Amino acid sequence: MADSIDQAGEIRSYTMNFGPQHPAAHGVLRLVMEMEGETIIRIDPHVGLLHRGTEKLAESKPFNHSIGYMDRLDYVSMMCNEHAYVRAIEQLVGVTPPERALWIRTLFDEVTRILNHLMWIGSNALDLGAMAVFLYAFREREELMDVYEAVSGTRMHATYYRPGGVYRDLPAKMIQYKESRWHKGKDLKRMNAWREGSMLDYLEAFARDFQHKVDEYEELLTDNRIWKQRTVDIGIVSPEQAYALGMTGPMLRGSGIEWDLRKKQPYAKYAEVDFDIPVGTHGDCYDRYLVRVNEMRQSGRIILQCVDWLKKNPGPVMIENYKVAPPKREDMKESMEALIHWFKLFTEGFSVPAGETYAAVEAPKGEFGCYMISDGANKPFRVHLRAPGFAHLSSINETTAGHMLPDVVAMIGTYDLVFGEVDR
Amino acid sequence: MKRVTEYLKSLLLLELAAGLWVTLKYLFKPKYTLRFPMETIPRSVRFRGLHALRRYPNGEERCIACKLCEAVCPALAITIDSAPRASDGQRRTTRYDIDLFKCIYCGFCEESCPVDSIVLTDILEYHMERRGENVITKPQLLAMGDRFEKSIAANRAQDAAYR
Amino acid sequence: MSAQPKDTAPPVEMVEFEVDGHPVSAPKGSMIIQATDAAKIPVPRFCYHEKLPIAANCRQCMVEVEMGGKLVPKPQPACATPIAPGMKVFTRSPNAMKWQRNTMEFLLINHPLDCPICDQGGECELQDISMGYGRSVTRFTERKRTVTDENIGPLVATEMTRCIHCTRCVRFVGEIAGTYEMGDMSRGDSHVIGTYIGRTIESELSGNVIDVCPVGALTDKVFQFKARAWELIAKPSIGYHDALGSNLWLHTKRGQALRAVPRDNEAINECWLSDRDRYSHQGLYADDRAEKPLIRKGGELVEVGWDEAIAFVADGLKKAGSDIGALVAPMTSCEEGALLAQLVRGLGSDRIDHRLRVQDFSDGGPSGATFEMSVEDVARVSAALIIGSNVRHEMPLLNHRLRHASRHDASKHPASNPAHYDISEVHGAKIFAINPVRFEYNFELAGEKVFAPQDFVDAMLCTAKAAGVQGDDRALAEAIAAADDKEDARQWVAALRDAPSSVVVVGDAVTQHPQASWLRVLARAIAEATNSAYNELPSGANAVGLARVGAQSSSGAKAIFDHAPKALITWQTGSQDASVPAAYDKARENAEFYVYAGAFACDGVKRTADAVLPLGLPPEIDGTWVNVDGIVQALAAGSALPGEARPGWKVLRALGAALGVAGFDFVDLKDVHARIAGDLSGQGTGDRGPGQRLPARTTAPEGVLARVATVGIYRTDAVVRRAKALQAHPLNRAPALRICADDARALGLLGGVKADVDGVTLPVVIDAAVPKGCAWIEAGFAATAALPPHGAALSIKAVTA
Repeated sequence: MADSIDQAGEIRSYTMNFGPQHPAAHGVLRLVMEMEGETIIRIDPHVGLLHRGTEKLAESKPFNHSIGYMDRLDYVSMMCNEHAYVRAIEQLVGVTPPERALWIRTLFDEVTRILNHLMWIGSNALDLGAMAVFLYAFREREELMDVYEAVSGTRMHATYYRPGGVYRDLPAKMIQYKESRWHKGKDLKRMNAWREGSMLDYLEAFARDFQHKVDEYEELLTDNRIWKQRTVDIGIVSPEQAYALGMTGPMLRGSGIEWDLRKKQPYAKYAEVDFDIPVGTHGDCYDRYLVRVNEMRQSGRIILQCVDWLKKNPGPVMIENYKVAPPKREDMKESMEALIHWFKLFTEGFSVPAGETYAAVEAPKGEFGCYMISDGANKPFRVHLRAPGFAHLSSINETTAGHMLPDVVAMIGTYDLVFGEVDR
Repeated sequence: MKRVTEYLKSLLLLELAAGLWVTLKYLFKPKYTLRFPMETIPRSVRFRGLHALRRYPNGEERCIACKLCEAVCPALAITIDSAPRASDGQRRTTRYDIDLFKCIYCGFCEESCPVDSIVLTDILEYHMERRGENVITKPQLLAMGDRFEKSIAANRAQDAAYR
Repeated sequence: MSAQPKDTAPPVEMVEFEVDGHPVSAPKGSMIIQATDAAKIPVPRFCYHEKLPIAANCRQCMVEVEMGGKLVPKPQPACATPIAPGMKVFTRSPNAMKWQRNTMEFLLINHPLDCPICDQGGECELQDISMGYGRSVTRFTERKRTVTDENIGPLVATEMTRCIHCTRCVRFVGEIAGTYEMGDMSRGDSHVIGTYIGRTIESELSGNVIDVCPVGALTDKVFQFKARAWELIAKPSIGYHDALGSNLWLHTKRGQALRAVPRDNEAINECWLSDRDRYSHQGLYADDRAEKPLIRKGGELVEVGWDEAIAFVADGLKKAGSDIGALVAPMTSCEEGALLAQLVRGLGSDRIDHRLRVQDFSDGGPSGATFEMSVEDVARVSAALIIGSNVRHEMPLLNHRLRHASRHDASKHPASNPAHYDISEVHGAKIFAINPVRFEYNFELAGEKVFAPQDFVDAMLCTAKAAGVQGDDRALAEAIAAADDKEDARQWVAALRDAPSSVVVVGDAVTQHPQASWLRVLARAIAEATNSAYNELPSGANAVGLARVGAQSSSGAKAIFDHAPKALITWQTGSQDASVPAAYDKARENAEFYVYAGAFACDGVKRTADAVLPLGLPPEIDGTWVNVDGIVQALAAGSALPGEARPGWKVLRALGAALGVAGFDFVDLKDVHARIAGDLSGQGTGDRGPGQRLPARTTAPEGVLARVATVGIYRTDAVVRRAKALQAHPLNRAPALRICADDARALGLLGGVKADVDGVTLPVVIDAAVPKGCAWIEAGFAATAALPPHGAALSIKAVTA
């Protein structure tokens, strides 16, 4: 066909727009593709359609007011974004949260990782033609979102991590289904089986069961010939390329590089938990799939260890330094000092010593970092957020040129793009 | 030999069958879904839904117009005007508007409120039909508080140890 | 030129010492805190205030001091410990921080948990220092004390339980305001700050206690509960109720001016602000504020758009030809004044003036000259003569400078260190006064003479004679020769002449006097003869600027009042701004076409005006004002214009273009400003024009009381008159006939009867401040509008019930 066009003396290649409204674009991505038939010659991502000026917004508000905006960057790995931001503040202020808060953060970083990877596996499979995985993945996501809701009060945008700890301790009672006409008696009991005890009991039960759930996903995909045809040898990234393109997270590990901030630059309590870093060998979409699936299993392991520690060690979840963290509600109602600190922290926030810092966490998508400069005021002088998705997307021409059009969908899937963080 | 078994596996669509078996099993399991809106998923006592302004048991509104919520609100969704109340000169709001389109439901307003006046209820099903209805006013917020005071108080009592 | 204060201070000796390891040097005799403040090293404090005497009673500024290699064992208050060579001060050592933290804890023991309902919240020094230096939680579990509040007037709200007894307010009211109305009573737990008897603070500077109060004990009553500090946008602005042009920050929320706080300017208002400038913003939002253009159609005023209104006014002015006149409020900006003058002159008339309170224009009226001695220097004079001025009401912060001079004679206290206040050693400047009534000054006068208006010229002649004034005019020379020779006058003159620097302050009672030209020439001659500076208080905020841009004519406002023009424009003025309100009313009623351009459409305006053009007031418009020292202050609009009101210069731009007058093709205000910039920087001449002769002296018939018509402190202009809180203040006295007991007895006004004054019924107040032969009825009230002006004879009789 290409030949006939050529013979007719017309242009060989043509330009095609993918998005910004496209169900497989995972948000508002516009790809301008130069194509020759089905083959992509050049691919040019146009970003910024979801730009909300988060960095500038954070610079216009006291340090402690912007946590909620971090949730909305990568909106499928909410607490990991918060983690990088509050860690940056903590580094500048020079406070360390209590042990228990660090364990809770470790726990919820992993819960978040599972949430993210479930979202990824479901949508990626859906993009590539497998419907069922999406349904099962979202079922598990609901279970974990109940955990989010139980601790923070929201199912997504938690605003749970705070400079100096976390907002509230884990609830002693897990939320339960209520009786209804359709669910009662034994049925209700079955639904609430995991929810009889505390939130930690629930998470423990979930984490134990989750390994079987991952088995199911694997049964649906890992050996599936269609899945393999769509992913094996698609978008191969060599280790050198991965380094050069600034890839992090599963994109990097899929190419066989064992790099994980949780191991290499441990933060929170990662140094004290036992887990492995899965790595790929070929650096293709299939390897990255395997890496992510394995990461889910590892996250399950970490969750169990965190649950174990947290059950044994009650304690404060917020530092008792009222110059940074607001005092307890009870204190505020009785103590003048506490009331003043309360008032000032909620209106002006706290002043952070002048300096600069970079704090990164191993977010599900890669290295999510927060570079922060303080000039000594109560607002950051500069906040830069390093979003892994941005670096990954910018490599799309290198990895996808030469592939067929349907492979673009596989690639967008394997990049695990969320435009909240790419466009910020 | 390995090549033969692999060929047979492939020929017999074994891996596809295994996948189908997984999905088939779920056909006979209890349904995971609920009949919304007749029944809902579990709701946390910490849930951050629609806003309300509370009153004291004697009917006096709690809000004292300290404006901490307005100051702490990252989305600038709250607008408060205040003045001495005509009857007794107390510090009170004359206007308390929340723009639900701006609100990001971070819960900072409730967190900052020194008198537990502004709260986020566990109500999540609400809608607006006309432009302008997204801004809820003080009487509406107080009415919300009056209507749901029982559940608001119960939720806060349950979570009291963590606040 | 008169004597300027000489810089007599000896070179300042500097002391080298060390703070937190850094070498610091400061003038000898400074306290540690003054040195650290200069070096920008923070030391927490509550009671210390740069402009107030040191009390050292909050104990918050404790520092650790090392002298001669040995630590001083006890904490030292930085505000009351003088520096010494080789001293080592530690503001952040563990001990210093412990002391500061512990003091803070004590201060908070009895502080109520009021932050959420306290107006100071967010701008509270107690909060800031508690965050920075205090503990996180209290250890105090006992009951807190409470203090009953006093109502100290309509301007300052009190919540004395919040008081931390820093006594800044006590020291301010005593040392700066000079009224000694507050004090601290009792000891220990019962220690309270108050007014002793629960009275209103009557100082004209009372609002400043709000600023000096570090906590929420004293707050702004007008601003009460309206907004938080963080919601307000501070716009630089100036006060426009006296010619000082006090610098202030106008705090606005959504365009609305909610409060004003002082903006530091050592040359003008230091860090203070008069109540009139602080609270007048309330008047901006009066009920009768004009918000839409109105024109008279078929006898009725109807709302129209600006285009129609401008066309209507242009048409009306065209019909009048050159027979037009304009009365301008003296607070009008230079740009508006210049444009209006250009418009009026462009139409062929010269009848424009802003000096509505002046009766005698025979010497051209007040020239709009600047002060010969700057306001800042007035605080350092050694002698002063006040002629016909209640400075305290006319220009409260100039009065503050005079008071400062009266208590600290710069020639005897060369050290410029205010920390050296010592009340036992007051050798202040000698201040003399010649007034029509005995004004209540807040400083001690070295001599005072009180003469009824009809005797005022004689009194001045007498002083001039003592000063050896010859008089370059025959009438004047003869009058001086005929004057009495008085010993006390000679003493006064000698004191003025001998002082290293001295000033003659001429005020409202001279400006308004029917023979003001005589008084002015005498006052100036006295100033010259005694080598004193001549400071004539202009009436109105921009009198100096308007004079410079030519918004006045030699015939003055009198020319308009005497012969009403066919078309009259009043620019921001009201009848109560005129010395004879009745004449003002007559002029606007007699004018065939009367245009009111201004901010307030009151009933009088609605009854008489053919067109009402709503204008913005000074804080709402861009413009330039010139103060008494000739300081040109250009300002951007602070608050939002109400309704469809427009800045005056835009209205004049449209009007000038519609009338086809030359020079109205400018694009924006910058062009106008550039045009008048040369005029503004020039010095007003202040000299009497050549060939102008003094008018013949008039003598009042015997036995008739002359009116003293000073303008009430809160009745000066339309905005102030509409500021409710100021109107409720006791300094704003209700209109009354004030006469001495003798005159009252003679007229049968004793025993609680009311008086009939030229047909106006007024309550009678027996006032020892009023001399025989005159009746003091303050101007600026609607009730007194029908009365004759300052110096005119009144017919008074008792009202028989």
